Amino acid sequence: MKVPSPSAAAPDATLLPVLFLGLCPAIAVTARVVDAVWMSAGVILVLALSGLAMSLLSGQGDSGPTVRWLRALVITALLTASLEAALVAFAPVASAALGIYAPLIAVNCLVLGVVSPGSLPASPPRSLLAGLARGAQFAVALVFIALIREALGAGTITLFRIGAFTGTIVITGIIERPARALGAAGGGLLCLGYLAGAFRAVAPRAGVKSSSPEKAE
Amino acid sequence: MSWMAIILTFALVDNVILSRLLGVYPAAASAGTMKAAAGIGGFMAVLMAGSAVAGWALDSLVLVPLGFTLLRTPVFVFMVVGLSAALRALCALFFPSLLPATGVSIPEIGVNTAGLGLVLIITRGEYSALESLVAGFAAGAGYFMVTAMMTAIRERLDVEPVPGALKGFPLQLITAGLMAYAFMAFDRAFLVRILGG
Repeated sequence: MKVPSPSAAAPDATLLPVLFLGLCPAIAVTARVVDAVWMSAGVILVLALSGLAMSLLSGQGDSGPTVRWLRALVITALLTASLEAALVAFAPVASAALGIYAPLIAVNCLVLGVVSPGSLPASPPRSLLAGLARGAQFAVALVFIALIREALGAGTITLFRIGAFTGTIVITGIIERPARALGAAGGGLLCLGYLAGAFRAVAPRAGVKSSSPEKAE
Repeated sequence: MSWMAIILTFALVDNVILSRLLGVYPAAASAGTMKAAAGIGGFMAVLMAGSAVAGWALDSLVLVPLGFTLLRTPVFVFMVVGLSAALRALCALFFPSLLPATGVSIPEIGVNTAGLGLVLIITRGEYSALESLVAGFAAGAGYFMVTAMMTAIRERLDVEPVPGALKGFPLQLITAGLMAYAFMAFDRAFLVRILGG
């Protein structure tokens, strides 16, 4: 029964393939930083709450792998549906921007919270923190990719409108001649591919045992 | 939308892997042989066609009439996972040698996003039952085609000098990215040229 330490913000070797498995569909919303932030917030929220709910329910009857899997399925799907409803009601622009990728938060959270190694039940606070930590790792990777794609592909960084701040930072020197290809779907895959390669190159130097994403199971 | 337009849209223009970025992981992380590509591609093609029709039926006949549209996400997630498990059981029964060759594990297939994403696209597009089936098969065929192409390219790259850190999964993602750029040629203008105004 081993849950990753919430303090371990750096992705560990066993979690990396799972992180990339979760990142693949989410890459579609990284053309703008603000969309990646919304997606990340949704994943963090659902991961933390589903971890907490799973932990609270772990004492109820049989907790074999199949039961745990079905519980996780029900909890994450219902939490995601609630999140979708909240987005539609309170942040319709974000809901429209995420489109079909908002419901896919359920899949991301299943992957990051249940399929990932070391996701067996722990105490409620520990499960909550573990969910937050995993969500944070996902968020850092997703927002990093979005920053690269939007900054180089559009010459802007789109954030939230606050007071006099319009919500868009213009990067002079790039906005005149942006690499628009990075904003297309292929740009997301290229960024993720190079990020996966960079992790693999850096991991051994950082003292993390390398693990091939092909062997996520 | 004509039948040919639906087929070309879901197979090429809105390809689930290269345009929607759904189901990328199973395609990129498969074992790297043509047999594996055929296994995962065929599995996904059938799963997507089945998901499309089942999703349409659940949405049009149950969720919308009863006013339970807020439950679309959980219902579709259960449906895709259930279909995936059933299909895997059938494969294990009739083609036991095929699944281990795919190199992709049950959770990865079970929770993969391609089936779920396709159902969401189809239900939001308000297609009929038959159109959903055709769209599902077309999307599945597109998935199969891209998986086979990625594997063929990987087989060539395996014998080429490639930086060690990029070998395998990262290179597959980069390959998919470059293929996505190539597939941008299949756009709405392409449909108009092929099918007329």
